[in-house]
Amino acid sequence: MSKKKINQDRVGYVMIAPYYIFMIVFILLPILINIFLSFTDYNLNTMTFVGLKNYTRMLQDPILKRSIVNTLLYSVVTLVLNMGLGLLISILVLRTGKALGVIRTIVFLPYVISMASASMIWLWIYEPGYGLLNSIITFFGGVSQDWVYDVELAMGCIILVTVWKFVGYNMVIYTSGIMNVPAQLYEAAMIDGANVWRQFQYITWPMLRPITFFLMITGFINNFNVFEQVSILTGGGPVNSTTTLMHQIYIRGFVDYQFGYASAITVLMMIVVSIVTALNFRYGSQGQNTDLS
Amino acid sequence: MLNRKTNVVILVLLLVLSLVMLVPFMVMISTALKSMDEIYTRGGILHFFIPDTIHWENFIDAFRFGGANWLKYFWNSLFVTVVTILISLCINSTAGYAFSRLNFRGRDTLFFASLVGMMIPPQATIVPVFFILRHFPFAGGNNILGQGGTGFINTHFALIAPYLAGAYGVFLFRQHFLNFPKSLDDAATVDGLSKFGIFIRIYLPLSKPIFATLMTTKAIQCWNDYTWPLIVTSSEEMRTLQVALVLFKDSVATQWNYLMAVTCIIILPLLILFFVAQKSFVEGIVSSGIKG
Repeated sequence: MSKKKINQDRVGYVMIAPYYIFMIVFILLPILINIFLSFTDYNLNTMTFVGLKNYTRMLQDPILKRSIVNTLLYSVVTLVLNMGLGLLISILVLRTGKALGVIRTIVFLPYVISMASASMIWLWIYEPGYGLLNSIITFFGGVSQDWVYDVELAMGCIILVTVWKFVGYNMVIYTSGIMNVPAQLYEAAMIDGANVWRQFQYITWPMLRPITFFLMITGFINNFNVFEQVSILTGGGPVNSTTTLMHQIYIRGFVDYQFGYASAITVLMMIVVSIVTALNFRYGSQGQNTDLS
Repeated sequence: MLNRKTNVVILVLLLVLSLVMLVPFMVMISTALKSMDEIYTRGGILHFFIPDTIHWENFIDAFRFGGANWLKYFWNSLFVTVVTILISLCINSTAGYAFSRLNFRGRDTLFFASLVGMMIPPQATIVPVFFILRHFPFAGGNNILGQGGTGFINTHFALIAPYLAGAYGVFLFRQHFLNFPKSLDDAATVDGLSKFGIFIRIYLPLSKPIFATLMTTKAIQCWNDYTWPLIVTSSEEMRTLQVALVLFKDSVATQWNYLMAVTCIIILPLLILFFVAQKSFVEGIVSSGIKG
């Protein structure tokens, strides 16, 4: 490390400037502005300071409480299904041989399309009158359901679409992780007579720990921000049974024009995301330090 | 390894799974080709996947329905996606080069500080980013305090700008450039190239895979996004495909064949890109996943 000015490449500041300006204006500054807005009443035209009013209102908002419960339920169930199925599929595909790239491509395909298009297709599948799901059920003599219009089933419908769309992503990440486990470990295990389950238990699973942790953290944060499928499939209904935090932010802000209150909910979300991220820093680097480049 | 019998069971299981994953795609295509009369007749389950008579004209009629200006929406989506990709490639590759190969004070501090941006999911900041764009000084009739006009709301700039922020691309390029041997720089310096010249003449031509990876990642992000265009645009002039699709659903009501035909066309560009550049797609995901 030389402190001589001769070695300084001033052009470096110019080269990082555009990147840094966008970073500051659209990521760092918004966090500060959001905190500021949460202490105001702002409706696009007028702005007044209201102190902690938005926060006290949050404590008494039954729909917000409902949305928190919904968001947590959605996040946890989606996370478990996505990661569990993703891991299972990646193991099964790898076990049967590497010629199964086609299956991997098919499982990954829904990840490529937009959530809006996916929602359109599933709305038609869920359609109570002539949709695929009810047609199959009545064909086998079952009772038709109202799916996204049913208070009990709507959240399940949203979760199913999300798992269909993202299980391939989890599979791809897990597959790359498993392929990076040194083959000698399995060879040694087989010589010692370890069966498939033991190999998974003592080699694959521990070696995948960092990846599992990564998928858990990022998956939770992404699920916690769920909005598009909720907005399109159910609009938060029926009777708020599927509304989520992000959906509440959208409704309060961009439908009701109560941006101060929407910002206060955003602050709540950012706190949760920060805690999860902090956990990531605290525990994320423990265990195997795998580099999968 | 496993015996043959278990292998066959697993294989059958995986085939069933792939079929289930494909069902929504098959439903979409077959419905797009059916007449409404056929959609509303009950038949077996196979009836769902194979149309009796194929109505190609649905693909034309759907886009004529209700006087929607699909060419405009298509152009908006394409414009936003292409411009985002081009600008992202420029600003991320230059910054990645500076962070990995140039010496300037505070370089590493600046780099790691900017990684904080990777932690905040973009959806979480929609309210303040909207606020910033609306009250941007001197934009869209605003005064110096950012009041009086609509700022950047309802412009292409507002659609694109937030997509340009983010540390992922810089991270990718920096990682890539760090693997280059230092002697390459020294040789180029001897030949009289400036630092910037080295970047343009040597580093960029050797970075095509990273360009492809970042391109596919950004393409998915921009083309598929629904939330941000929904919030930041209000006029039909600025509407993007995803927002138009959801609005179309309300206007066609129960014309499922038209809705599915439009959905087919909207997802087609990315499906093509995926099959052409499958390797870059997967690399983008794995690198964002593991190294992020």
